[in-house]
Amino acid sequence: MQLYRLTLATLIQRKVWVVALLCVLVLPLVLPYLTSYESNPTLIEPARAQAAWICLWVVCLLWLLFQAARFGDDSSRSGMGAYFLSKGVSRFSQMMQIWLACMTFLLPLSLITVAVCLIGAMPGNEEQVGMWIVTNFQYLALFLLVVIPLTLVSISMGSRFGSTLGYLVPLSLSLYGIYGVGYLDMMTSVEGNVMIEWLYIVSPHYHLADLTPRLVFKHGSMLGSEFFELVAYFLGIKLVLSAFSTICFQAKPTL
Amino acid sequence: MNNNAPRVGLSGGMSIGYKSSLAVVEDEISLGSGTHYLLARNGRGKTTLLRTLAGVLKPIGGSYACEGTCQLLSEDLSFDRELPAKVVFKSLLDKESFKGAMELAEKLELDTVKPYGKLSTGNKRKVALLVAEFSVQEGRPDILLLDEPFTGLDAFSREIFQELWDKRRDGVLRLVSCHPDFDSMEMESSVLISEEKIMHLADDEIPKQWGDLKTQLN
Repeated sequence: MQLYRLTLATLIQRKVWVVALLCVLVLPLVLPYLTSYESNPTLIEPARAQAAWICLWVVCLLWLLFQAARFGDDSSRSGMGAYFLSKGVSRFSQMMQIWLACMTFLLPLSLITVAVCLIGAMPGNEEQVGMWIVTNFQYLALFLLVVIPLTLVSISMGSRFGSTLGYLVPLSLSLYGIYGVGYLDMMTSVEGNVMIEWLYIVSPHYHLADLTPRLVFKHGSMLGSEFFELVAYFLGIKLVLSAFSTICFQAKPTL
Repeated sequence: MNNNAPRVGLSGGMSIGYKSSLAVVEDEISLGSGTHYLLARNGRGKTTLLRTLAGVLKPIGGSYACEGTCQLLSEDLSFDRELPAKVVFKSLLDKESFKGAMELAEKLELDTVKPYGKLSTGNKRKVALLVAEFSVQEGRPDILLLDEPFTGLDAFSREIFQELWDKRRDGVLRLVSCHPDFDSMEMESSVLISEEKIMHLADDEIPKQWGDLKTQLN
């Protein structure tokens, strides 16, 4: 696990994690007060939950994916990949060690977000408490199922094509999955084009993992069957992206 | 046979290169513990041979065997520019080795707190060399493939490393590619790449000093 320790030490040494931590911890507490909350103070809690999850998405998409792409790039170009290959650490193991170091930051950040929602935005109504807890943990599971494979893609594409592409491709894919697919849905209902319909079907529907509206408008937790269907769907995407990442990752630069 | 003895064996006819062959092993070569210098003019295949032995590149033909734990210290090996050497050592070495590396770093006048990116070329090289040397474990055969380890190193530091190599010969095989810069540099065993052939000179075959040996390179 030497590469894991080295990657983790590098992340800690770069110190940007402090900004990420503050974003996830402090912004959800501060941002709701910048709104005109005086007109309806009961909206503070849902706004806090909304801010907490949006901050986590932003931190992961802007910071974590970039760090992952940079580590992939550095690993193949700095000679470290070749060094660890010579020591008998396989390509796959190298990719997983870098990924694990990124996850070491992602998991606490995600748990902080859940804690902010459970401690700082818990509904007063006792009937809603149970629903609130379940919805947050469902959200956490779906969020991780989206971000974990995207981090792998960042690392592997960074190692092969450099940090710019390694960052931009997974970022674009995630933004497309969260926002773009919605526009595609509107187009299919208007135009009825077979190509667009197929594109809609094969697109990653990351918007399904965004349970922020469900929390804000207190729609309650998802049904077990509905939730597990989504888990299976995202596990399928994870499988495809993980396989792609394993093939794409390179420990040494192309000669 | 000593299980702690590392060995590198290159079969006769083994060919190295990227798309086409750069050099071919003339007669079978077997290297054991100790320091072996890899000598050749620029572009003759020194780095390619080291990368091949490390398993990073496939040989074009023939076979080789490395009995021991390899470490390839390529010329371009670098660490994150914000990491100080101390953190690099802490991440890559066990407690005992970390202590040893820090002691030697002090002797080498290496600032272990300064970020790696702010170190001079020679000091950056010292970090990589210390990692490789202190990753060697007692009782385990180790093979260090060092590509131009002395680049940027001053004579003082070079002497310290060569003393260390003399002291820690057992169980460690070092194949060192370099361009010696003084004629009196002594070499007990050399692997030469010349006229697209890879050959090993040892014992009585080898002129003991670089000044005599360099005439054989083409």
